[in-house]
Parts: sequence; C-alpha cells; structure tokens
Amino acid sequence: MINLIGGVPLYVLEFGDELVYFTPYTITLFLLALTFTVLVLISRPEKQVDIAFGGDAYRTKEISVSEMRFRRFMAIACGLATMGAMVTGDIFNFTLFTAMVGITNVGIVAAVKSLHVQDAAYQYGLVALAATVPLFAGAAIYAAVTGSLSMIELMKGTLPAVPLIAKGMLMLGVIGEGMAPFYAAKAEMFRAPGAPYVIMCSLSSLLLFLRVVEIVMLG
Amino acid sequence: MIIRRISHILCNYDNLTRLFAGACLLLFIAGILLLPLPYSEKQLYPKTFDRNSSLDPYDRGGPPFTQVTIVSQYPENSPTAGLVTSYLTPFSLFLSQVTLHLGTTIVSHPGGIIDEILYNTRGLDTVVEATILFIAFAIASYIYRKG
Amino acid sequence: MWGQYSYGILVVLVAGVIAFYALARERDDLHKLLLLDLVEIVAIGIIALLGTDLAEALILPGLTVGIAELLALSQIYCTKEGICERPVRGLNIEVIAKGDAPLIISIFLIAYGIILSGFTGGGVAGLGLIFLFISRMYREDINLLEMASGISWALWIFAFFVFMFLPQYWFIALMGAAIGILLKVTAKMSLVGTMWGEHRD
Repeated sequence: MINLIGGVPLYVLEFGDELVYFTPYTITLFLLALTFTVLVLISRPEKQVDIAFGGDAYRTKEISVSEMRFRRFMAIACGLATMGAMVTGDIFNFTLFTAMVGITNVGIVAAVKSLHVQDAAYQYGLVALAATVPLFAGAAIYAAVTGSLSMIELMKGTLPAVPLIAKGMLMLGVIGEGMAPFYAAKAEMFRAPGAPYVIMCSLSSLLLFLRVVEIVMLG
Repeated sequence: MIIRRISHILCNYDNLTRLFAGACLLLFIAGILLLPLPYSEKQLYPKTFDRNSSLDPYDRGGPPFTQVTIVSQYPENSPTAGLVTSYLTPFSLFLSQVTLHLGTTIVSHPGGIIDEILYNTRGLDTVVEATILFIAFAIASYIYRKG
Repeated sequence: MWGQYSYGILVVLVAGVIAFYALARERDDLHKLLLLDLVEIVAIGIIALLGTDLAEALILPGLTVGIAELLALSQIYCTKEGICERPVRGLNIEVIAKGDAPLIISIFLIAYGIILSGFTGGGVAGLGLIFLFISRMYREDINLLEMASGISWALWIFAFFVFMFLPQYWFIALMGAAIGILLKVTAKMSLVGTMWGEHRD
C-alpha cells in the first residue's frame, strides 16, 4: 500500500542499509538543487555598492578573493548537501544531511568580515546547533517505535504507526536548521555581499522543508 | 498589527535562540504528555549479553573472518557484513585472556560491529558525518587565519 | 504500555525541558553556547535509549556533528568578540616540559593508536599528538595538516564505494576506511592542538 505525495519510487540506488530513491517529487527538488549548485559554480559574484542618499557619492565594498572562494566552496557544499537530503531514503541520513545544510549556511555567512553579519551568523549557528537535538531525537524515536529507519519500509505500511511527537521533532529540527520561518531575521544575513551564495541559504531551507513534509506523511 | 509585532520580535536576531529554545521546550512538554511510546521488539542490530565472556558487554560473538549473521535492514545489499564483528589487537587479546573486565574499558572496545555498521551497512551516514566535520574545521581554520 | 523505554524517555524529556528552559532564559552569548553543549546530551540520551548496537552507531555521528558545530561556533565567537590574542600557557610541569618524556609518551600513544585502528585508534593517536604539541611549544604547518585530512577524506570515500560496488574486496575497503578515519581524526585533533599552541607569551 503506497500512498504518498511523492508517487512511486522510479529508481532505487542501494547503499547497504540506506537506499537512495527517486520519485517524481524528489527528482524535481533534486534537479532544482542541482541547477542552482551549477549556477553558483559558474556565476560571478556581485559587488555591493553603498550609495549615499541625496548625493552622488557611492563606494564599492572591498571583498577579498579568498573570501569569495571560501564562500563559493561553502555554497557548493550546501548545494550538494541539499541534493543528498532530497533523494536519501533513510531517516537518520536525512537528519545528517540537514545538519550539514545548517553548518554550511553558517559558513557562507560567517566568512564575511563585518561585525554585524558575524553576530547574525553566530546567533544563527546557535539555533542550528540547538536544532540538532530535536532532529536526532526524532530520528531515534522513529527507529525505536517502528524498528526501522528506511523510508521504503515506512511506505509499505506494515510497520507500527509513527508517533506524532517523532514527526513534530523532525519538523522542528528542519525548521531550526533551515531557519524556515525566520526570514525576517535572515534579512540581516542578506546584508552580506555575494548574491548567489546567500540565496543558497534560502533555497536550501525551502527545499528541505518541502522534503520533510513528504517524509512526515510517510508511516 | 499582530503580524507586524511578531515580525518585529523575529527580526531581532538576539531573540532567535531563546525563541527556538522556547519552541523546543513546548514540544518536549508535549512529548511528556504524549507518553507512553510503544517500543518495537523487532529491532535491527539487537544487542545480546554473555555474562561469562571477558568481553562483556561488548561480546558480539564469532571469531574474525568467519561470517556471523547481522540483523541488518537489507542483508542482500551487504553480502560481506558480519566478517569482522570481533577483532582484537594483540594487546587487547592478551588482556582479554588475563582479566574478565576487558569489556568495561573503552580502549579495549572491540569495535567490530560498530565498524560493520559505520563502514559497511550504514556507510553513507559516516560519509556525511565526516564531511560535516570537514566543513566545520574548514570554517574554524578559515576564520582563525583571516579573523 | 508503560515499558522501560517510556520511563527512560520520560527522564530524558524532563532533562530536555530543564535544559531548554535554561536556554530560553539565557541572554549572554557565551553562556548560550555552553548551555547548548549540555542540551546536546539530551539528544544523545534519546538515541542511546534505542538500546541496540545501532544506537551506538548513531551516537557517533550525532556526537561528531555536535562537536564540529561547537568548534566552528566558538571560533566565530572569538572573532566576533575580537578575542584575537589568546595567550596559552603550556603545561607548566618541569619534568614534562624539559625532558624527553612527552616525546616518548606521544610515540607510545601514536604507535598504540595505529595498532588499534579505527575510531579508537584515531582518538588515541590524536591524543598523543596533542600531548606533544601542548608540552613542547611546537609550531606545525596548518596547511600540511589540512592536506592530510583532505587526503584521508578522499581515502574514506574511496573505501565507501568499494564496499558498495565491489563487495568482494571488502578487506581492502575496511583497511582503507580504518586508515582514513585514523588519519582524519589524528589530523583534526592535532589541528586543535596547534590552535591552542600558537600565540604564546
């Protein structure tokens, strides 16, 4: 009995106990993450310009090459982690990919040499660290109650029902790692220069949220 | 009005951790109220105890290089799992023959079954974990050098 | 319905409630970080309640993720607070600082770690190196260490693919993964050692 928003798995790749599977839903999300990662890889970063209102004065911010290179590396790592989280078929593996998205997001922002931005990155990092608690706890309760971590097994519907609290913890964990409802606070982070890299933070959290909705519907 | 007030609280990033901790607090209280949780008796990689073994509680049975059965999710995907559930270094082997308490120290921990899970059946987990460690150190050392 | 598992979960959840309550009330940035380190234990507790060998295998990644993020965050904290000069004093034990003892102990630890192999071995060997760095005012090239950890990471990935696609060569993969993780843990821990070791007075 398979009923899920993702549809039937089209292709399953086996890595031991952990299966990677592709459904029409996850393929779409995967391709979106892939496209954006390629974009980050090839695009040239923006240069921020400060303009003084009411006058002609403007200045561009100095950004070192090494900083840009480091942030590009973090953005690509974030893209890869997002792709992994989109297609993985194992609950614990998903939480690990989510934690990786969280820490790469911190890395993208923290490399900027501005006190304001670093302060925001620190607070964001604290939330990401706190979010690993409900994330891993949720996955552990999944394993204890159903005796399995595989989403394919959960799909079959033969395992005991997943308790609400495990689903809630998984959801809250993803919210914390991706900062999904805190876009108002993320505005601080967008002051950091380097357009394609900062957008990666938002895109990855959006995709994670879309995936966790699918996972919570299982089992 | 209320949305504006909420977004005003949210935009102050100093409150973020406290807000998230509050959300976790509520969820955990809900978790206490939703107890008890059923525990599935059919678990993967179950643990067994042999009180007479000198490796207790870490005795997973079987000499190295002979295959023991591991209760993994998909045994057909890991045909070689179970070959190294127990291996001891010469020093640990000597200790295990001399004393009955080898299993109680972490150094002697015969990590065979853990290695089976971490390297083989759930290898992808460890790949991601190692990558997270890599990323974290990259951030720390970058900031350390440039900061 | 109230089995052992539920009682265990009850205790851990109560601990979690206490920890998160403390975190929700805290205002100081550094204290928040310290409290988060405590809160992490709750997650480890819930995983441990699984009570199988799988639980042990899940704790390791969980622990690593927590430690890794803690390290990155504490470095960000230092930068944002402008704590650049960090005078660190070595172990002020005269016998250790001047004699050959640290070298001998470190060599012993590293050799033993290499024999142990795997996670434990990496930890022991790393401890040996840290001990050497702390007790001797040793300056190691950070780039070299980063390269070593990068190579071990690649070795690890290679071993993973051998396990998955060429299972008949499992022994090579096992050895590769064990050496990879040993190199990696050793390199990381000695990196921590060097970070402590610089800026001496």
